[in-house]
Amino acid sequence: MCDSCGCPSPSDHNHDHTHDHGHTHNHSTSTTKTVDVHTSLFAANDALAKTNREHFEEIGAVALNLISSPGSGKTTLLEYTIEALKGEINIAVIEGDIETERDADRIRAKGVPVIQLTTGGACHLDAAMTHRGFHQLQKQPGGDKIDLLFIENVGNLVCPATFDLGEHERVVLVSVPEGPDKPAKYPKAFTSSHTFLITKTDLLPYFDFPVPEASAEALQLNPHLRVIDLCASKGGEGFETWLGYLRELVANMRGRAK
Amino acid sequence: MHEISLVQGLLVQLGELARANKAGKVIKITMEVGPLSGVVADSFRFGFDILSAEDDLVRGAELVLITPMVTYVCSACGQTVTTDGERPEECARCQELFLIPQGGDDLILRQVEME
Repeated sequence: MCDSCGCPSPSDHNHDHTHDHGHTHNHSTSTTKTVDVHTSLFAANDALAKTNREHFEEIGAVALNLISSPGSGKTTLLEYTIEALKGEINIAVIEGDIETERDADRIRAKGVPVIQLTTGGACHLDAAMTHRGFHQLQKQPGGDKIDLLFIENVGNLVCPATFDLGEHERVVLVSVPEGPDKPAKYPKAFTSSHTFLITKTDLLPYFDFPVPEASAEALQLNPHLRVIDLCASKGGEGFETWLGYLRELVANMRGRAK
Repeated sequence: MHEISLVQGLLVQLGELARANKAGKVIKITMEVGPLSGVVADSFRFGFDILSAEDDLVRGAELVLITPMVTYVCSACGQTVTTDGERPEECARCQELFLIPQGGDDLILRQVEME
């Protein structure tokens, strides 16, 4: 069963228990006791993330975790992506924000299942919140047929990089007005991601953002990173590359399910 | 400030540990904070000071934070160099730019002293 809500978990047979209490070494006097533990504080989150991944795969969904600063265009990218793939790929969205339903309202207007998670101050989503969000999503109309699940993290390039949510791919976004130095300043977001999107490229004429330099810097940290520069609202080559990448992920997941 | 939620996780774990060992007070906690873990040691300590003050079991306990070293392995020639976390500009032997870090990306509760 899931640790968080007791739902039946696909990994019931070989559940990794993280509550390693360690063994007791009595190094000391009769009253004090020193215990060697050696447990990662990330272990509980990582175990639940693994359960989430199994839940997603059970219904044949591939999950993407979107990470960026506030205002890089995550929600706008989703709006245009949903529009472009309508009738072809069943999309659902988990929205993470500190407050408000605003992003979920924007996605809901596009006619796909969406859940808004408000963290009430927390700077990132974790696997437990994602888990609850996914179960709520499944109860919505269309929530049982998801090919592609987007998890839009809280706008923040720092903390979300530390928490696995159970996604299959992590996507980090930097918009042109933010400047090209983000990979150097926030390396973990880039070393832990699979794909790097440079967004709002229609603004390139107005900002000093050398795309080749920014992508080279990111690739130095993580040579496996897929770099795509695009403008979601204008479409074009970069946006098509993005859609192609999503189609490929969905096709691979369908292939695995068969 | 995700350090606060990690401290909360630590307090839960300490509670379980104390119960399992029938201890009523935590005296000393030793943790390893990897320089690539995304956890800022000062913020973690700050969060610990605030949250432990409200926790009968842990109040007043000493928190020892150890920073493990990170070994960077050259992706081209295999040369290794160990640093306090900082990524070397390039491989000293073959000038390759991509160096793979090993270790230093975890936050580990190593040892707890209780009574």
